[in-house]
Amino acid sequence: MYANPNSIINPSLWPNGPAPGCFFKFPGTNVTSTSSNSGIITRTQSPVTTGTSILGLVFDGGVMLAGDMLGSYGSMAKFRSIERIVKVNNATVLGATGDIADFQHLKAIIEQKVIDEDCADDGFTLKPKALHTWLTRVLYNRRSKFDPLWNTFLVAGIEDGEPYLGCVDKIGTAFSDSKIATGYGAHIALPLMREALEKKPQMTKEEARALLISCLRVLFYRDCRALNKHQIATITKEGVTIENNIELDTNWEVANFVIGYE
Amino acid sequence: MARRYDTRTTIFSPEGRLYQVEYAMEAIGHAGTCLGILASDGIVLAAERRNTNKLLDEVFFSEKIYQLNADMVCSVAGITSDANVLTNELRLISQRYLLQYGESIPCEQLVSWLCDVKQAYTQYGGKRPFGVSLLYAGWDHQYGFQLYQSDPSGNYGGWKATCIGNNSAAAVSMLKQEYKEGETKIDDALALAIRVMSKTMDATKLTPDKLELATLTRHDNKTYIKVLPVAQVKTLIADHEKKEAAEAAKSKPTTAS
Repeated sequence: MYANPNSIINPSLWPNGPAPGCFFKFPGTNVTSTSSNSGIITRTQSPVTTGTSILGLVFDGGVMLAGDMLGSYGSMAKFRSIERIVKVNNATVLGATGDIADFQHLKAIIEQKVIDEDCADDGFTLKPKALHTWLTRVLYNRRSKFDPLWNTFLVAGIEDGEPYLGCVDKIGTAFSDSKIATGYGAHIALPLMREALEKKPQMTKEEARALLISCLRVLFYRDCRALNKHQIATITKEGVTIENNIELDTNWEVANFVIGYE
Repeated sequence: MARRYDTRTTIFSPEGRLYQVEYAMEAIGHAGTCLGILASDGIVLAAERRNTNKLLDEVFFSEKIYQLNADMVCSVAGITSDANVLTNELRLISQRYLLQYGESIPCEQLVSWLCDVKQAYTQYGGKRPFGVSLLYAGWDHQYGFQLYQSDPSGNYGGWKATCIGNNSAAAVSMLKQEYKEGETKIDDALALAIRVMSKTMDATKLTPDKLELATLTRHDNKTYIKVLPVAQVKTLIADHEKKEAAEAAKSKPTTAS
């Protein structure tokens, strides 16, 4: 915090003592020092195994998240059963776009948080907005060290009885809205979601699901890093349900009209 | 005889005691009284102000009562400089939590966190413990209004009514008799606080400049922490004295001439 005055005053008088007004740093307590000092380290990465869009939609009584189950290794569709949408607790769900390794790293930390909370047994559970805030701080601090977690996250859940949907990206930009999409979804699916929500701002669960499925279909047609195998998560006051391995009907007849495609 | 074992906090005495911790509590026993009372609609903190010298330039609004965050307030008894370090740290812990999670820290978590630090000072590093006991009054959405007390050993407990500092034992036994659980509202708690403080404080007569009173209440989903203005304290003391006089007149049978 402040420069340690003990280093200015005769250091032999009070070596390693606490600075006035500060707490003594007990030896052995974990000090997180990822890098030495303020030397700028540029470790900005390029992501390796990645996930594409996640879609999020608030409906009347809850929130819904959808995304495919592909982990792309560059242009190769390598891992085809990756769960990019996970349950955090009975009121919160997390979905991730971007580097899968970074997502799994954070997932483990969040899972440990939930366990620690369980052990504390004090009645307090992680709420979606709190998770969103925490995630924002973590991502922003990592980007400030030029060592980002290469993801965009969607946090969805029920906050104080009301549906909540928030987004954070790898540079720590955070916001919340009733309809959010990441990756290609932001360009392709979000306009479709916005149009539908304008016509009917309070959708039913079934309408929301139908809308997300139609968006997922368009994404499968148009996003070259998409897979026709999806997860849909629904969060209501009753709890969290995540359906996996959803396959959509597609119609590729239009391909016949593409000149040069045989 | 046990002197040899006093010099370091990290050492037990032959009888299995931590003398430094006990000495710290001894120091607190000579400090100005603080008491806290839990009411059904809020919490009252009362503190005896010792620095009443007229030459003091009034820099601080309150000598012993500190707001920690939006939903918690504490009062301290003991070595003031130690107390300043601890209240500063409590405020920092609260803000760190608020920054990380966007919501107020649960009351017990804040108390527990600081108490872990206080305990560390009794076990490692050869440092002396903090000579401060604290009363924490707070609200959170899980447990509502809560009152906690912590001492130099790092131990803490939740209380319905308690007292620290000078004459605290007498005050606690008085509270034990007079505190009505479930039937106490803020105004009852304030009256009870004045009653107990008047018995435990050194001064023969209670005056507003010797007494600090604070309340923590909730209205419209928001916590309100108020250090009572001098005028209000004066009124409460006057009410108390009126009641005392009435009680005295009742118990004394009318004597002739």
